[in-house]
Amino acid sequence: MLEFLHDDLAILSVKEGCGEGECGACTVMLDNKPVNSCLILAVEADGTSIRTVEGEVKDGKLSPLQESFKKNHATQCGFCTPGMIMSAQSLLERNPKPNEEEIKEAIEGNFCRCTGYRQIIDAIFEVTKNAK
Amino acid sequence: MSKEYKYIGKGVPRIDADLKVTGQATYVGDMSFPGMLHAKMLISPHAHAKIKKIDTSKAKALDGVAAALTGEDLDYQVGLYMVDKTILAREKVRYHGEPVAAVAAETLEIAEKAVKLIEVEYEELKPLLDVEEAFNEKANLIHPNLGSYSHVQTAFFPKPGTNICHHSKIRRGDIDKGFQEADVIVEREYNNPSVQHVPMETHGAIVQWGIGDRVTIWTSAQSPFTVRNLFCHTFKLSHHQVRVIVPYVGGGFGGKAGIHLEPLVGCLSRATGGRPVKLIATRKEEYNTLPCRCGLKYKIKTGLMKDGKIVAQKLTLLWSAGAYADYAVNVTRASGYSAGGPYFYPNISTDSYTVYTNMVFGTAYRGFGHVELFWGLERHMDYCARELGIDPYEFRMKNLLKPGDITPTGEKLKDDSGDIRKCLNAAAKEIGWDGVKSEQQRIKEMQSGKVRGKGFAVLHKAPAMPTNTSSSCVIKMNENGSVILNISATDYGNGTYTPMAQIIAEEMDIPLDKIHVAYETDTDRDPYDWQTVASRFAPMGGRAVINACNDLKRKMSEVAAKVFECSPDDFIFQDEKIIHKSDPQKFIYYDKLATGYVYPNGNAIGGPLIGVGVYMAEGLTHLDKETGQGLPAFNWTYGAHAIEVEVDVETGEFTILKIASALDVGKVLNYESLKGQVIGGIIQGLGTAICERYVYDNKGRLLNNSFTDNKIPTAKDIPLEIVPIFIETPHDEGAYGARGAAEHPMISVAPAIGNALRDALGIELTEMPIRAEDVWKALKEKELVFEPATV
Amino acid sequence: MLNHFTYFKPQTESELLEKVKSYGDDTKILAGGTDLLIYMKQGITAPKVLIDVKGISEYSKIVTASDGSISIGASVTCNEVIENECINKHFPVLVEAAKTLGSYQLRNRATVIGNICNASPAADMAGPLLVLGALVIIGNDSGGREILLKDFFIGFKKNILKVDEFVKAIKVPAYFRDAKSGYLKSSRIKGHDLGICNVAMCRVNGTLKVAVGSCAVTPVLLPDFESDRAGTKFVIEAAMNNINPISDIRSSKEYRKHMVKVFIKRLLEKGNSH
Repeated sequence: MLEFLHDDLAILSVKEGCGEGECGACTVMLDNKPVNSCLILAVEADGTSIRTVEGEVKDGKLSPLQESFKKNHATQCGFCTPGMIMSAQSLLERNPKPNEEEIKEAIEGNFCRCTGYRQIIDAIFEVTKNAK
Repeated sequence: MSKEYKYIGKGVPRIDADLKVTGQATYVGDMSFPGMLHAKMLISPHAHAKIKKIDTSKAKALDGVAAALTGEDLDYQVGLYMVDKTILAREKVRYHGEPVAAVAAETLEIAEKAVKLIEVEYEELKPLLDVEEAFNEKANLIHPNLGSYSHVQTAFFPKPGTNICHHSKIRRGDIDKGFQEADVIVEREYNNPSVQHVPMETHGAIVQWGIGDRVTIWTSAQSPFTVRNLFCHTFKLSHHQVRVIVPYVGGGFGGKAGIHLEPLVGCLSRATGGRPVKLIATRKEEYNTLPCRCGLKYKIKTGLMKDGKIVAQKLTLLWSAGAYADYAVNVTRASGYSAGGPYFYPNISTDSYTVYTNMVFGTAYRGFGHVELFWGLERHMDYCARELGIDPYEFRMKNLLKPGDITPTGEKLKDDSGDIRKCLNAAAKEIGWDGVKSEQQRIKEMQSGKVRGKGFAVLHKAPAMPTNTSSSCVIKMNENGSVILNISATDYGNGTYTPMAQIIAEEMDIPLDKIHVAYETDTDRDPYDWQTVASRFAPMGGRAVINACNDLKRKMSEVAAKVFECSPDDFIFQDEKIIHKSDPQKFIYYDKLATGYVYPNGNAIGGPLIGVGVYMAEGLTHLDKETGQGLPAFNWTYGAHAIEVEVDVETGEFTILKIASALDVGKVLNYESLKGQVIGGIIQGLGTAICERYVYDNKGRLLNNSFTDNKIPTAKDIPLEIVPIFIETPHDEGAYGARGAAEHPMISVAPAIGNALRDALGIELTEMPIRAEDVWKALKEKELVFEPATV
Repeated sequence: MLNHFTYFKPQTESELLEKVKSYGDDTKILAGGTDLLIYMKQGITAPKVLIDVKGISEYSKIVTASDGSISIGASVTCNEVIENECINKHFPVLVEAAKTLGSYQLRNRATVIGNICNASPAADMAGPLLVLGALVIIGNDSGGREILLKDFFIGFKKNILKVDEFVKAIKVPAYFRDAKSGYLKSSRIKGHDLGICNVAMCRVNGTLKVAVGSCAVTPVLLPDFESDRAGTKFVIEAAMNNINPISDIRSSKEYRKHMVKVFIKRLLEKGNSH
């Protein structure tokens, strides 16, 4: 599915970091659940809906989470960022007020080698402040 | 007095953030071109073997294969400082993972299939896997032709007939006399394994070698001009024939400095008659085939006076280069002249050797020799303090460098050199250091099952760079007064571009949203820059940008002076206007000057505005071959980490409760960006400290070439509290007083943890990484471990 | 790159049976795919036919029977176990273990049955299911069979399934409902990782059951103990007699043994404090 999205459909945000489900760079939402797209056959996704970070932009505006990533310098090289945002967005949709531990649990499957995660966690936190 | 700035120092968002949070930033792996072919390498299954026969005929016969190459086809030598490598292995392989053949085909699937059809007959040779064994003069030679390799002769000194491809020496004072004077002599050995950089984006390149030797290279690299230069050297091409384009890069950390896959992909393209060829390393190849960080075994011997003064220090460093020298020789050199750390030594002697071994070759990695060196050095300083019965904080304070002191290479430190004492003080204070724990206290705390400990470690590093390192840039003003900056620095995550935009905003008083730093660095479009490495760009490239702004202003002043019939020195630059100092009614908006000023009658003067800026560090010298004396350093950045750790005494598992990291950065250019560099560096330092390492079997095969068994820290592994502290002692040469700080946060995290564990448990660890199991073993040796079976 | 294969997604069990029967040897059952696809990418296995069981609706369910036993279907993911109310309430050790398996996104695909069928000595779900006396419900052409999980593992990454068999579900008997239980796992980092070793424990009606992972070629269920007589030393001795850990890239055998001891002690203490 990763190759299909990236190479055939040119949804370029879906990145391969390892191809073995360890790094999370290829994370997309499949029927609103985050999954490693490198470990799914494209055919398995038949009849499902797939969300990638491209779709988080609405009317040309960044989502609150994307905006917060930007503000908090939660992206450096940017390679892990699309997958990271999908994991974090999914967390906020199932739990709008996560605590620090829950945030770490939700993104532990997304490796980031640049930021050291702190500003990512801070960015996710900041969005929860405005959550009901 | 620190000046108030409008843009400098502010944590403004990265200028590339929009593209990155929306997935629109394009990396090499995202690119494709009409007619593009896909490449695959065949890598060696042996660490050391003769290649007796290679047969590519079956691969070539496969439908869809456009080219299949072996070492026999490619009689070229490549190398960074030591030209010791071929594009594909010829005659023998020297490490498990070395490319021996490669295929370009219509699809990756065909290329993978074709590579499996290549038949290779090897004759296995005994691999050299231990650096001490390889160092021995009687050892088998990994490179019998070492004496004939061309190399940078001013800096590197190979020893033909051995496996030693470089030896750096530092000699200052009288080391024998120093040890004679010493009250106490302390000696110990330390060890670090190789590790990987682990950029999230692996290495990758697309090359099109067109007819007439017009070569275009798209590559995930830190150094477009170095790629171009070395590519031209290898293939004897003129620099104007080769164009290197670097799109967004998904992390580098030194592993993408120099030149790697580009020559191979270039040869494949040429063999297909000029079709573009793409090669993206798999994660396994990233671990196995692309370079890692060198291993290091070292011995430190220190002569001490009872009052706590160091009188002599002798260091012997054996760097395991792996199969090829690449950056290892320069890592050896930099760690050699830096080996004493930020301490004063009346007498010091250092021998730093680069030794070939049959393992994955090492290259530059964030910290460039210092992460490895400081593990032992800062564990050692704690050890020295304890042997003298002095608080390790007091011991360090007695010996740390200060302005006026002479470094081991003979450099006299100045007032603008930075303040290591302030760094250590700030970090130690933040964790509430109040002296070492007594053994009784320790044993008492152990009853509870959890013990806490505190420790710290200092660090320093100067950019390891040639004496003629330089940057240049061009600022072009657009019709509406906005500007575009062309630089050849790459932003592989480190945040290179944003402070440059802030500098232009500050100097020109143009809002940030009217400044664009052209990404996708292009050697045809952008002016020369040495490399984006060594924590050197912000201070040095920043100066080039300031100079370009000044050039732009001078050109604007000249035109405005004609318009207002006054001196070009009469102007200030504010709110996108050039304004007469004493008559504010006389002003011109930037956009009216951008493409030339037009008088009401239609006459025009000036012309398009282009500002050019260059910066070169002057005054650096080569180091003397025998004594290492000279000036190698543009500047030193000092720092210190302090850590509080909590250990589970039954399991050896530990948690870092807090880390405080103080760095003398000279001047903060972008607070949030710097914070990100520092925290990211700390966590990379944590990874190298607690879990990362290459493990080989006794035949030299790398056992952990995947994320399954070569772990890096996750969000759950970070310290519970991270406190970055910035000290600002301005550096005269750096832009706004700034020093580099990208590598430094990674250095000395490991020894700070080691020292905190020593404080907690009284255990002595000398090897990295520190796994829970190692803590448990050390406790067991002390007979302090809890044994559930006996209760 | 994956080899070429034919993909089937049967909608009923009988369809599945038919496919398994007709393709036999070259077939692999695909549920979560989080192990299978890695093996295929690495060339460890190259099946000609993949049969996806996710189309069979009853396989995606966690069913609580009237007697209080639960049955976890072949395509139930680890996250579905974690989120299941009944399992949380009555068989919490399954939740504890599932939470340590991989990352959140991996657990959205990884299935409990897949974890068992893969038969890795490190399988996180194995220990808890072993101590809960789980039964493996096997489908085949002759009406299927049920065996105890402890008899399911027959070697390193080997299970007892015959070529034309597959696992439909795993069942935890009502007998183990609300049993005091626990799971502890040691790994190299705090984030998701394969275990150095793990121990699962459960006390039920005077019996103590203990299972150890990553310390032999298969997950190991120790012989039952009489709960009130099982002192720490006794259980540890029994464990040491039944496991045979190796030294590998993740850990030395000495540390594995030590951690098993510590975990047994901690789980016993936790059990006694209930």
